[in-house]
Amino acid sequence: MNPYIAVAALVFVVGLMLMLPLVPALVELRGKSDALPLSVVQENAGEIRHFANSFRTYIKGLEPIMQRCVESGTTDTGTLFDGEEYVVLGRPDEVLMRALEEQDAVRPVLIMAGVDLVAPPEATFSKDIYAGGQFEGGEKSNYRAILGEGDVHLREASRVLRWVHAVGEFTADVGCGLYGRISSDLLVRLHADCSFTRMNAPRIEIGCAASHAKAGPVGASIPPNMGSRSSPRLLHDGDFEVHPGEVIKGNLVIRGKLHIHSGARVCGSVKSVKDMVIEDGVSVEGSLISARKMSLGPHCAIHGPVIAERELAIAVGTRCGTLEYPTTVSAPQIEVEEGVVVFGTLWARDRGHVVARQ
Amino acid sequence: MQAKLLLQVRHDHAEPAFRLWLCEVIYVLYAIVFVICAYTARHYFFTLNRLFGFQRHPYIDIDTADWPPVTVLVAAHNEEKVIANVLSALMTVKYPEDKMLVVPVNDRSTDRTREIINEFVERFPGRIRPFHRTSGKGGKAAALKDAMELVDTEVILIFDADYIPGAGLIKQLVAPFFDLEVGGVMGRVVPLNAGTNLLTRLLDLERSGGYQVDQQARMNLRLVPQHGGTVAGVRLSALREIGGWNENSLTEDTDLTYRLLLNGWKTAYQNRSECYEEVPENWPVRIKQIMRWAKGHNQAMVTYSLRLLLGKHRATVRERIDGTLLLGVYVMAPITLIGWALALGVFYQGVAPLHGVIALLSLTAYAALGNLAAFFEIAAASRLDGTRKRICLLPFLILGFAVSIFSVSRAAVSQVSDLVTGAEFHWDKTERFRKVL
Repeated sequence: MNPYIAVAALVFVVGLMLMLPLVPALVELRGKSDALPLSVVQENAGEIRHFANSFRTYIKGLEPIMQRCVESGTTDTGTLFDGEEYVVLGRPDEVLMRALEEQDAVRPVLIMAGVDLVAPPEATFSKDIYAGGQFEGGEKSNYRAILGEGDVHLREASRVLRWVHAVGEFTADVGCGLYGRISSDLLVRLHADCSFTRMNAPRIEIGCAASHAKAGPVGASIPPNMGSRSSPRLLHDGDFEVHPGEVIKGNLVIRGKLHIHSGARVCGSVKSVKDMVIEDGVSVEGSLISARKMSLGPHCAIHGPVIAERELAIAVGTRCGTLEYPTTVSAPQIEVEEGVVVFGTLWARDRGHVVARQ
Repeated sequence: MQAKLLLQVRHDHAEPAFRLWLCEVIYVLYAIVFVICAYTARHYFFTLNRLFGFQRHPYIDIDTADWPPVTVLVAAHNEEKVIANVLSALMTVKYPEDKMLVVPVNDRSTDRTREIINEFVERFPGRIRPFHRTSGKGGKAAALKDAMELVDTEVILIFDADYIPGAGLIKQLVAPFFDLEVGGVMGRVVPLNAGTNLLTRLLDLERSGGYQVDQQARMNLRLVPQHGGTVAGVRLSALREIGGWNENSLTEDTDLTYRLLLNGWKTAYQNRSECYEEVPENWPVRIKQIMRWAKGHNQAMVTYSLRLLLGKHRATVRERIDGTLLLGVYVMAPITLIGWALALGVFYQGVAPLHGVIALLSLTAYAALGNLAAFFEIAAASRLDGTRKRICLLPFLILGFAVSIFSVSRAAVSQVSDLVTGAEFHWDKTERFRKVL
């Protein structure tokens, strides 16, 4: 073989091999199949009612049919623009079962009721439900999503997979599993053994909260003869204790464990880098943040956000936020006793659980 | 003598003085290799943490609160192409209107920026208070410093004029300030013009790696997330405590990060608080931008690295180490070039360090792992972002790195020569590419 050709062939083959990894790159550069900017949600502000609002918009086209069904007391079925099948109920009796039986039992169907809706027990609703009035669930039922214009009541051991929004009150009986977003414009009430992730309402009651209410109001006047320390921002390396009944005027940043003993009061915010233990009857006027575990209560009153980066346990009688100044309580894992009230958001990123009071 | 044992110098005729000099060169080379390995390990550590470690997003769930009053500073110098976008976006964010004041900091603009801002002031009475600056020292830090006379809220947010905040962004950036340890907050920057050309696509990948992996890993590991000076916030009391904006700094954000850290404040990174920005669309603009960043960063390195590493302050050991490594990021470019030159030099002098075999094995190991560290990081970031095909462009990043390494080295050299000649730093604004509205 001509040596020149051999060298040229060698250069060509080596060049080809070097270019080979660039082929997908060149194809992508030319084809621009994934060249759009990363998706940043501009409109959705993380609003818990986002899905409920979207659903309301989605079913807007069914309103005239629903109105007609309500006026005539009839039931109608059909298909939405995207092929979704629906049932519209116009009578406030037990027509739901019948309407569903008329459909193929295994075929999922969107349910829209212009009136109060009573769902049968041990049923599974794999499509969204709209109730124009009250919604009364049956025991051991499974729901995908519910939008109720009135109160929504889930019976014992029911499950919600995506979301519920109640314009009225939302109540979940013992042992319910609420795996999505739960919101109400008035009140969310959870009973023992319920599990939850994200909830929002002006008032969230765990169990029968009123009977356990002992927490002192945040911002009440400081009793005389109480020991007090004052600092705009007390930065402390290592563990720290706030003594029983002590008043701290200012903010605490503790780079260790923090123990606030019973009856103490912090006129400011509190942060601990390690575990935080808040005893009985403590009040904090600002936020409460622990980079690890937090144990809160009983009968504490916290004004600002409560954040634990690992686990949070809230004991009976504790109140977070107020009706006027709602707040957020958040941790990956939350255990909350019956008798706790949160005004605003209660958000367990991984798992929240209501512990029955002995 | 011991050093000589490590060498296998084949030039038997070489002068003893030259051989001694070679020994010293080898030690410098070892030091450079050690530092490069440290950065390589850091890349892998951060990436593996992002893929498999515990992810910290402690403040992102705060969606309901008694929100504090906030001032949003929008830094603008000849921003007629983009200023309307950012102001429009800020007027539609979901934050209590009576608690948010927007202050466009119009820094000596000579285009229509002033006029556009004034139009918005009229359209949204009481919500925008403009700060028109007509004289004074140039640069963002100097402009922000002067604008502080209009700020009386504890929480300050800062946006550059080419950013477009989403509806929930203000709340997300304010939320970390409920933590009294937090002095600064940084959100994530996402290129809006990612698909324009090869450069923007490469910058998109780089940004992805920098934020999705680097910044979040630092947040996870409680290291030193960097304040970026835009899509960012600072606590007024912390800013006052550290002496306000440093107008002599070319990168006021890096400067702020370290002064906060040295004074016992933390910077929180919010990976899910994303905001669109515009990245440079041509290489000269990109080179200018990265040279300014390099100079500012090196300036901060000279000022703070020793104090951070060895000084008496409240930073933890891990923050001291990470903070120092972060300060050295831009100086690694000239160091790497010097390393290459030295390695080639000693090779052609017939020197095989560590008896050759170990050197060969090390070289092979580094070629297999070390060179891939940054690529691995960016690939992991793309995966975390859920993107599909843009990862194919990864081989082209070598082009971006080549441009960066020479630009940053050039910046370092010019910085040293400026120091010798006494020339002053000057601040170059990044050119915008959006069409005028």
